[in-house]
Amino acid sequence: MKFRVFRYNPDEDEQPYLQDFEVAAERGMMLRDALLQIKTQDEGFSFRHSCGEGVCGSDGVNVNGENKLACITPLAELKEPVVVRPFPGRPVIRDLVVDMSQFFQQYRAVQPWLIRKDPLPEHEILQSPEERERLDGLYECILCGCCSTSCPSFWWNPDRFHGPQALLTAWRFLADSRDQAADERLDELEGPYKLFRCHTIMSCVEACPKHLNPTRAIGNIKNLMLKKSI
Amino acid sequence: MSRRAAGLKAWIWQRLTAIYLGLFILFLLGRLVLDPPLHVAEWRGWLGGPLVSTASLLFVFALLLHAWVGVRDILMDYVRPIALRAGLMSLVIVILLGCGLWAVEILIVARVG
Repeated sequence: MKFRVFRYNPDEDEQPYLQDFEVAAERGMMLRDALLQIKTQDEGFSFRHSCGEGVCGSDGVNVNGENKLACITPLAELKEPVVVRPFPGRPVIRDLVVDMSQFFQQYRAVQPWLIRKDPLPEHEILQSPEERERLDGLYECILCGCCSTSCPSFWWNPDRFHGPQALLTAWRFLADSRDQAADERLDELEGPYKLFRCHTIMSCVEACPKHLNPTRAIGNIKNLMLKKSI
Repeated sequence: MSRRAAGLKAWIWQRLTAIYLGLFILFLLGRLVLDPPLHVAEWRGWLGGPLVSTASLLFVFALLLHAWVGVRDILMDYVRPIALRAGLMSLVIVILLGCGLWAVEILIVARVG
């Protein structure tokens, strides 16, 4: 199977380039397995990966123009030559390894933890099954970055727009019955950039390997903001 | 413009004006298809009526507001140098205001003339 892989070593290369590789594909092989084979052919080739089963979110790459997790992308689904590039819009450290600092800064900025004003009880803070259900489709995010790095608004304003991942997380805590800082969270999201750079392009929904829907979460935040401001 | 106006309010205005624009365009198309005015005089009389001219004026302002939010979004996304962005935004405001005044003049002429 033919592969064209993005290569860039800032110490040696002046310009990034695409390098061709041939990989012996076997039934059931995932893209990550092919990248590992490429690494045996050229030990200098770098990419991030860890769990190999779509849980850790390390091996997000751009495959034939779409952001995917290499470990859960079957080779059988890909058209040849398979063009593998790093996430678009991120500074390349080497080959497929990109700098995700801004992505994690945006995640941190939405305060991704429960904020309680009441004193913490001795026991757990209980939720009804319905309250718990509201978190479905939100808590599953593994922070792989496939969504935010496929979002044009995040490409143009990665320093100021939170991006789909962080906004999904923001809604995850706004929707949580145990959280008590909804007003502060909404105030924090005001202004034209952090939330409102989303133009409902929905690339994030298409890219998410966990089939989550950041666009819907963003819509929910806007609706809640509207409700609270009337 | 306050910080609040810059985010939520712009978004709401964009949506509210979109609804009005959609409804008015349907109304306009309905009239043009079902009962097209045959002469300039008839057209003017229709446009000069108090209800239609007010609705048209509202349409023009909804359109300008909608266009402003949209163009502002585009400039914020694509034009990073702040001086250039401010310049372009001012230019857009002048053009939109000009269009608005021109539309008002047309409607007044239709009503008076």
